[in-house]
Amino acid sequence: MNLKTLLLAGGALLSGTAASAGGYQVSLAGIKNNGMGGVGVGLSLDQAAMFYNPGALAMVRERGVQLGGNLTFARNAFVAEGSSTQRELRNSVVTPFSLFAGYGPAEGKFRAGIAVYTPFGSKLQYAEGWEGRTSLTDIDLKSVFVQPTFSYALTDQLSVGAGLVVLAYGAVNLQRDVPLPDSYGHIELDGKAKTKLGYNAGIFFKPSSKLTLGISYRSKIDAQVEDGDVTFTNISPTFASRFQATKFAATLPLPATTSLGIGLMPTEKLTFGVDINYVNWSAYRTLEFRFDQQINGSTVSSSKRFYQDAFTFRVGGQYKVTDAFTARIGGAYDNSPVKDGYVTPETPDADRISGTAGVSYAFGEHFSVDASTQFVSLKKRTQTAQDLQNNQTTDRVAGTYKTNIVIPGLGLNYTF
Amino acid sequence: MNTILFRKYVPFVALLGLGLTACQPDLEDDFKASAGTADFSRYIAVGNSLTAGYSDNGLYLEGQQSSYPNLLAMQFKQVGGGDFVQPLFKAANGSGYLTITGFNADGTPQINPEAKDNNGTYVAPGQFATGRAYTAAGVPLLERYGATDNQNLGVPGIRIADITTASYGRLTGTSNPLTFNSYFERLLPSATDTRSYLDYVKSQVSAVNPTFFTNWLGNNDVLGFASTGGTGAPLTAVPEFTTKYGQMLDALTTGGAKGLVATIPNVTNVPLFTTVPTAAVIAQVSATPIPPALVPVIANLLKLPAGSPLPSGTRFGLYIRTGAGTNREATANDLLLLPARGVINTPSTTSPFPNGIGLVIPNADAPTTAALAASANALASSLVLDAAETKAVVDRTTELNNVIMTAAKAKNLAVFDANAYFTSIARTGVITNGINNTAAFVSGNLFSLDGVHPTPRGYALVANEMIKVINATYGASVPQLNAAAYRGVEFP
Repeated sequence: MNLKTLLLAGGALLSGTAASAGGYQVSLAGIKNNGMGGVGVGLSLDQAAMFYNPGALAMVRERGVQLGGNLTFARNAFVAEGSSTQRELRNSVVTPFSLFAGYGPAEGKFRAGIAVYTPFGSKLQYAEGWEGRTSLTDIDLKSVFVQPTFSYALTDQLSVGAGLVVLAYGAVNLQRDVPLPDSYGHIELDGKAKTKLGYNAGIFFKPSSKLTLGISYRSKIDAQVEDGDVTFTNISPTFASRFQATKFAATLPLPATTSLGIGLMPTEKLTFGVDINYVNWSAYRTLEFRFDQQINGSTVSSSKRFYQDAFTFRVGGQYKVTDAFTARIGGAYDNSPVKDGYVTPETPDADRISGTAGVSYAFGEHFSVDASTQFVSLKKRTQTAQDLQNNQTTDRVAGTYKTNIVIPGLGLNYTF
Repeated sequence: MNTILFRKYVPFVALLGLGLTACQPDLEDDFKASAGTADFSRYIAVGNSLTAGYSDNGLYLEGQQSSYPNLLAMQFKQVGGGDFVQPLFKAANGSGYLTITGFNADGTPQINPEAKDNNGTYVAPGQFATGRAYTAAGVPLLERYGATDNQNLGVPGIRIADITTASYGRLTGTSNPLTFNSYFERLLPSATDTRSYLDYVKSQVSAVNPTFFTNWLGNNDVLGFASTGGTGAPLTAVPEFTTKYGQMLDALTTGGAKGLVATIPNVTNVPLFTTVPTAAVIAQVSATPIPPALVPVIANLLKLPAGSPLPSGTRFGLYIRTGAGTNREATANDLLLLPARGVINTPSTTSPFPNGIGLVIPNADAPTTAALAASANALASSLVLDAAETKAVVDRTTELNNVIMTAAKAKNLAVFDANAYFTSIARTGVITNGINNTAAFVSGNLFSLDGVHPTPRGYALVANEMIKVINATYGASVPQLNAAAYRGVEFP
């Protein structure tokens, strides 16, 4: 028996690799929508309709440009099974942003526009030496979509629209510790996604001045990294020959989403929206990394995800207090796509409840400012070592996660 | 204007800050540590090498610091436990211990004693370098602890059978390993102390007045026999064990202390006995062709006419010694001890055959078979635990464990079933926070280089298992350790 077989017998050191996951979807496109629980499929509020329902864009009166930015403060607590020590993230802030520009003839039946937004992303930095360090120490997942959009009003009551969704920029950085018999090494995977195309499309129907309906669909895009860089650090010379990989490839599905929305306008000043999103998370079965050279005896590392399709329910409303000032409130309930016993540190996911609020203030005819804030509470979620054993998902850590997220956002609108 | 702006925005900024602070979830109330009905303020640990923190065939500072009593005491501190004093070595090397010093061409590790004498040459573990050990009457002794505040009373090598032996820590001209223990000697305040281990425990109990104790004695009552292939100390008889184990528990509970006892793991599950694959070695030896140059030598040995071929089927075989002058061919039921790995098939100065090797002629008559066995260069009995010895060890382990559990039940003590735990580890290993650990030698992370004693990670797992039992028995919530933060085998 030589050293190689000895080490192999000890199990693949890279058994539990990580990437992004469940809650890596970010629905933060329009700042107005953010204040209303994220509804928008059945509404035609503003240019952000390009994201929620391109079919509604033709019904948006104004032409204009709007720019939005959010600050996402995610705060997480973790207690490992049997422990009483709480681990907290090294806190970071992510800044999802969006840009929507729409144009069309004042009285014409069509609108065209371009949207830039960040529908998927995640950044978590776990505490030094935390119990799950061999699953993940750091993740930074970014994506930017660019979407040229065209929408056409077939009648005064019915409009359709579609967009070409371009994954213009995607980047992933994953880091974790590698368990050696007497120490921990570290591996960093860093790569850029290839440019990929998808689409979205929607139908918007306005049977009366008090009721609107919408349906929209956004296709799945596989974010694909080839030739990503693998960097090892802190691997002692004794083991260096077993960690030779320099390049990796991986694919992460950005799942398809189908949405239904209803808008109610009981008075001129009052608007309500209800949305249901259905996300095909079941496309995410395993996270697999392929390496150019072996890492501790294997060139492939595969980790179970087994996500399930999930619904999100959203409700929100706005009230036009004065001509210039609008107030908003809303909430959402988000079913986690992650099954019990499959929770990974990249996405310490659980069912989420959010409460939102927002305001807009118009400075004159052309310029207005939106502000929103969201408070997202992920349910406390526990998985035991026994759960992991039963599901053969022992590449992650047993314990209890709890996450809260606060997301203030600010939007600037210029209409003409 | 600045002031106005400031006044205007301060409440908002404060609100944002407040919002973010409130945002941090807090799980600590859900996992509050508590002592339950137990009191951990003064803890005392009784046991053998496992309790002392012995690892890599030696007792040294790092091992002492990762002893399970020390780890337990660390966790007890979170629920009202007090300080825990260990008889630490001042010199980090302690008694000396095994380390991996390099690798052979085939990748197997070279394992050597770490302790070096002043000339830079290796000395066997258990021997002591000049300047670090007191030498008396030519017998190397260990650095004496010197204080009397010791709460970790673990003494490597001690059996329950030894606990009432007077002068067990006093070196005399007639001392032998069954009546003298240098690890006990170093705990005693003077070289003329004649106390037995039980008396020592009693005096420490009255000095410390413990509220909680652990007792993990008994392993050596079977291990001493097993690790010497049945040639060393005999298996302790059940009645003797019952009496002395009871005396020890009485001594520990005199002050009303609560506590935990641990059972004896079936030692044949540890790498010392499981690393050398007997069946594979036998197969390899049997399949090795007899070199033509050896044929005349063997023919001569068999007293065959010159030039005649060997009887059909003649092959090499792996032989073991079962008693004085009695050899037999090994079977797959024999457990070859770890050190046999370095002996089998090495050249011999006393026999034409390499060590462990002899000849076998299938279906030969009895006298020929006996003659072949007698001529074989059989492995020493101390390197083999044969089927009968293995059965004796396993049976006695079960009997002694029944004694332990009965005694513990009578006193309402927590019981850590180390036997069940190590059996499950031998079968399936254990995963700690995503890291695989098994009972495999060197690579498994749990057993140190002696193949019997745990690594720091192994000890941390033992501490966690004890905590689980303590929590269940005493309604406590003592937090467990992160075992993955402790190392497995140290590599160069």
